[in-house]
Amino acid sequence: MWIRDTVWAFPLIETFHLLALAVLLGSVLIINLRILGCGARFASASQLAGDLEPWIRVSIVVGIFSGVLLFMSEPMKCYESYSFPVKMGLIVAGVVFHFTGERKWALGAQGFRSKLAAGVALVLWTGVGLAGKGIPYI
Amino acid sequence: MTVLELCGAIQSMPWAAGIKESSWKFPLIESIHSLGISTMLWPAAILDMRLLGVVMRRRPVSQVAGQFLPWVWAGFSVMVLTGIVIFCAEAVKCYNSPFFRAKLVLIALAGMNALTFHKTVYRNIEAWDQAAATPFRARMAGALSLLFWIAVVAMGRIVAYA
Repeated sequence: MWIRDTVWAFPLIETFHLLALAVLLGSVLIINLRILGCGARFASASQLAGDLEPWIRVSIVVGIFSGVLLFMSEPMKCYESYSFPVKMGLIVAGVVFHFTGERKWALGAQGFRSKLAAGVALVLWTGVGLAGKGIPYI
Repeated sequence: MTVLELCGAIQSMPWAAGIKESSWKFPLIESIHSLGISTMLWPAAILDMRLLGVVMRRRPVSQVAGQFLPWVWAGFSVMVLTGIVIFCAEAVKCYNSPFFRAKLVLIALAGMNALTFHKTVYRNIEAWDQAAATPFRARMAGALSLLFWIAVVAMGRIVAYA
């Protein structure tokens, strides 16, 4: 297909995909590690979450859009990979959690519940990143 | 010994060859390097965008810097460490790639940009910390930083596929 017709198209689309991940995973790390007590204290986790929310949403959209293009250019590799369905499942779980548990518990609660929810978010989105890197191999 | 021969010698070292030939060691280190972009590039980009006045305008620049620069340094350490390991495992391929050379030049430029910024316009941060608009040189430093680091990521992708 057209992405595979040139040398530069795939790396370019993949760069957008990787940058979207950097924004998304980076934001998730900043906010949720802050809940877990890591990171400077200039802003609260809620303030950081509020500032970064538009970027999280944009990066999800860019990630899905670029991801669909990448899939269309190498569907067999995705089909034959165990990592690919795992990644898709984790993305769904991550997005759903972002609009539910993250708000209600990670940011909206305190103490153990908040930290547990922050940990869940970290595991889900780090898992998305790792599963994506695993597609060519597993 | 030429530089090319030196690169050949580096990737022939037992531990380097072992990483390259392993089914999981190289992918794991490369994955940490790729995912590490989240910890370094995004916090740096947030600060750059604050300098450009695009995000977090209500927050003083020094606060945004204080919040995210530790992340940038921690992330950068991870990137350099994993990057050195990856280079050692594929030294000849990197040496031969014009895109890898461009990547190193861009990293050096990004570093010089940051150093210049910190030693000049950032020195009198108190004067413009909460100003409505940041000084031109601060905006320039932010814009260049964004450009350089995104180009570094793009170069890295091309080297990976070469």
